[in-house]
Formats: sequence, C-alpha cells, structure tokens
Amino acid sequence: MDKQFNPFSLDGKVVVISGAASGIGRQCAVSCSKMGAKLILLDLNESGLTETMTMVERPEEHYTAAVNLTDYERVPEIIKEAVAKVGRITGLLNCAGISTTLPLNVAKPETLDKFFHVNVYTAYFLSQTVCKVGNFSKDGGSIVFFSSAAGQYGETCKSIYGMTKGALYAGAKSLACELARKNIRVNSISPGVIVTPINMNLPHIADPEQRKQTEALHLLGLGNPEDIANACIYLLSDASRWVTGSNLVVDGGYTTR
Amino acid sequence: MEKFIELFAEAIEREDEIKMQDEFREYPEWSSITYLSVIAMMDEEYGVQIEEAEFKKLRTVQALYDACNNK
Repeated sequence: MDKQFNPFSLDGKVVVISGAASGIGRQCAVSCSKMGAKLILLDLNESGLTETMTMVERPEEHYTAAVNLTDYERVPEIIKEAVAKVGRITGLLNCAGISTTLPLNVAKPETLDKFFHVNVYTAYFLSQTVCKVGNFSKDGGSIVFFSSAAGQYGETCKSIYGMTKGALYAGAKSLACELARKNIRVNSISPGVIVTPINMNLPHIADPEQRKQTEALHLLGLGNPEDIANACIYLLSDASRWVTGSNLVVDGGYTTR
Repeated sequence: MEKFIELFAEAIEREDEIKMQDEFREYPEWSSITYLSVIAMMDEEYGVQIEEAEFKKLRTVQALYDACNNK
C-alpha cells in the first residue's frame, strides 16, 4: 500500500467555512483541519467559534471572525484580513443557514426576506467576496453550496426552507459555468436529515414518534455531521478536480424512493 | 482616474498593472464575462449605458474612462 497516496488530502488548502460555530459547519472545520487544511471560520456566534477552535487540529494556523454574514460591508474587510494572515483561499463551504417548518397561511413577506437573506444572499455574496481579485488562489479551487433534499423534494410546511435550498441548487450550476474559466469548481451538496445539537430539540427528532417517521424516510437512518463533512472533504480536495456543477446527494437514501 | 482604474480592475478581475493607454481587449482577463462586468460597472458607477456597437469602438482604458466621464 502506498501510504503517501491520498487524493483527499487538504494539505496546502485554505478553506473558508461559514456557520462554523455549530453543527455541520463545526464538524466540517474539525474534519478539514484533520485533513491538513488551514481554516477561515466565520459565524455570528463568537462563543461557539471559540469552542470549535478547541476541537480543531493546529488552532494557531487558523483565523476566526464573529460576524453577521448579512453585513455585506464588513464581510469583505474580514476576508481581506483573513487572506493576509492565512493565505489565499482555495475552498469555501457555505454552511451557514437556518431552517423553519411553517405553513403557507402564516408566512409573511418578512419571513421570506429573512430566510432568503440568511440562506441565499449570504452564501451568494460570501462567494462573490471570496472570488474577488486577491482573495482566491490563482490556481483555482472549490466552492460548495449547502442545498438540501428539501430543495428538490417536497415536505409539508417546508416551502420557505425548500425555496431557499432550491435557489442554492440552481445558482451553483450557473456559477459553475461562470467560474470554470478561473478553475473554480462550484458544486452543491444535498443532505437529508442530520442529527445536530440544534435540531436534536426539534419535533421531528426530539419526539420519539415523529423521529421514527423521519427515520423511516431514510433508508440508512438519519445522518451525522461527519457524513456531510466527509462529502465536503471530497469536494474540496483534488480528488474532485473534474467535478463541477454537480449536486452531491448525501441523504441516506431519502430521495431514492 | 484612480477610482476608475480600481473599479475597472475589479470588473475585469485583473491583478496586474493597468495603464490608461492599454488596449484592454489584449488583457488575458478580457472575456465575454468581463465585458458584461464592465458594462454593468459603467452603468452602476457612472450612469453610462452604452450600446454594443459603440462599445466596440472603444480600444483603450483611456477611451473607457472618457466614455464614463463625458456623458
């Protein structure tokens, strides 16, 4: 066995991760650091970021910033500062996002505004910032948008969440076309239901009866943050150098039926 | 002029030096996509809407600058 052979290595990579203070974003930070990447971790939650930093490998190599990603003036300043300290970016995981289960009859325009801002606008404009001159590696790299099974398949009361995730799925494909000339690959990832500290308290997981139903929808049971982080490692690494514009479904078989 | 060059560099995503006498279509960064970015920059920053036929006549960075400042 060739112990040097590892196409999934992230040695020499600089990866920005939004939403790194908890759940999938935090796991991505931990896993990417184990694979050798230097990290730029962003989140609104400062104490959560601090906790993430206690879990990653080589914390002294990374950069963190507590920032509201909807602050479209502040984010570019932070990215510039981060690049100066850590180096040019080779990857971006747009993990930050929020979810809701809301019937049509109680949704308001402000609700849609909030969800589109947090789930779509922030990912889009963070990607724009990362791709600005001087920020991204001249050799290119990889951007990952977090769509969801709910972005392509229906679930009762998931219309708002689903719309935002569908937007990310669609946007990633056109951005893949646009950024290929810079050798920047753009893909989306569509997780099924993942058990995280945040959604562990939501009815579809916390309530035993509802959890049983949720589990029944997934052929392989519910997922863990590690399942998504491993898929992200693939999309960030040179192992996926010929993969762009794709949507990687990591859902335990949820969308197979 | 400095501000214009900064905006132009950002639009075409060029890190190397830009001189006013440069023929911008000779830049390796120039493409159908950067063309769209420059058109958008001229509109948003200078309020200049320029037809494709008119744009084709512009050869240098100086000509672009003049088009933006002599509306």
